[in-house]
Amino acid sequence: MDQNNLVARVLQGDPQAERELYDANVDRVYRLVYRMVGDGELASDYTQDTFIRAFERLASFRGEAALSTWITSIAISVVYNGQRKVRRLRSREVELEHAEPVAVSGRQADPDLKLKLSAAIDALPEGYRTVFLMHDVEGYTHEEIGAALGIQDGTSKAQLSRARAKLRRQLAAYAGDLAS
Amino acid sequence: MMDESEDRLDALLRDAAKDYNAPPATPKAELWERIAAARKANGPATARRDDVLPLRRGFRPTARPTLRVALGIAALLALGVAVGRITAPGQPVLTPAAPAPTLGATPGREAPRGELAEQLATVQHLGQAESFLTELNTGKAAQDLVPQAQDLLSTTRLLLDSKRLTDDRTRKLLEDLELVLVQIATLDPKDRREDLGFIADGMAQSHLRTRLRNAIPGGPATRM
Repeated sequence: MDQNNLVARVLQGDPQAERELYDANVDRVYRLVYRMVGDGELASDYTQDTFIRAFERLASFRGEAALSTWITSIAISVVYNGQRKVRRLRSREVELEHAEPVAVSGRQADPDLKLKLSAAIDALPEGYRTVFLMHDVEGYTHEEIGAALGIQDGTSKAQLSRARAKLRRQLAAYAGDLAS
Repeated sequence: MMDESEDRLDALLRDAAKDYNAPPATPKAELWERIAAARKANGPATARRDDVLPLRRGFRPTARPTLRVALGIAALLALGVAVGRITAPGQPVLTPAAPAPTLGATPGREAPRGELAEQLATVQHLGQAESFLTELNTGKAAQDLVPQAQDLLSTTRLLLDSKRLTDDRTRKLLEDLELVLVQIATLDPKDRREDLGFIADGMAQSHLRTRLRNAIPGGPATRM
């Protein structure tokens, strides 16, 4: 399906085209959003918000990037905004939480390696974490990441490199376990 | 040798990370129902699009001839009223309107008061962001840069969510600014120096500060 044709049909109010656009992109969006937030309810809320915004703003889509990349960039913005609100609410509830994600300290005490890795990923700066999840976990290319985040491909590569270095450092003591 | 072991560890990390927040099957049907219901509650799609881009759509040359004539008459009337209000010929109707063209206001059209206020707020915000990033870049950043970045980030996102933001260039600028501010707001206190250097590199690549300066007609604003 030609994406320009699909966009034109959606803009003309074709409900079938709206559904096609949704079907073609929802899995990719939901997977990434879920990876970023780790909560089914939030992932559904953010995915819903992403598509509502995408349909609202579709007239401004100029076709410079792939439609899927454009929708991904909306999803990331929705997640960043939403998570900011979630953190603000949590920080009101739990005064102890300031810079560090709330789950880190609990997970650090857990001996399980995968939980250690999860905690280390949680603790990555937001930009590094997004690039790491998109590239190493969800398989996006640096070109796609750059377009979705509005950064250069080289910046995406550098952020990924920094993210990996941080994870290696955090998990250095467990390198042997990982290898075994 | 070191690279080889790092590569091996990276591969193992990548493999282990597949289990990180592993997503379940997408609840496609349920989500579609929710999206359809929310969009229905918000009104028809075309009305929503008009909401998002009111000026561009309204002033497209493809509008019906009768509508164009009506718009022309309305514009003439508005111009007549504006001329009538001018007490000193040659002076602008609204003196604070200077920043508006930079932020994508429609030429030949007087911005409504709310829109004008928001344009001024945007200019002021971009000025504050530029000052903040300049200090960051020159290494004079204050110790409280994280809360400052968080404040700027909140305002950036408020502006991005505004329906009055119709200018794509300003939107792109705010989105790029948002990304940089997110990185600063989530800085790891232990690795701060390295991370700041990296953020500065990213800013240089996207020419963010230059673009911010270009968007501020009267030069950088005062700090927060």
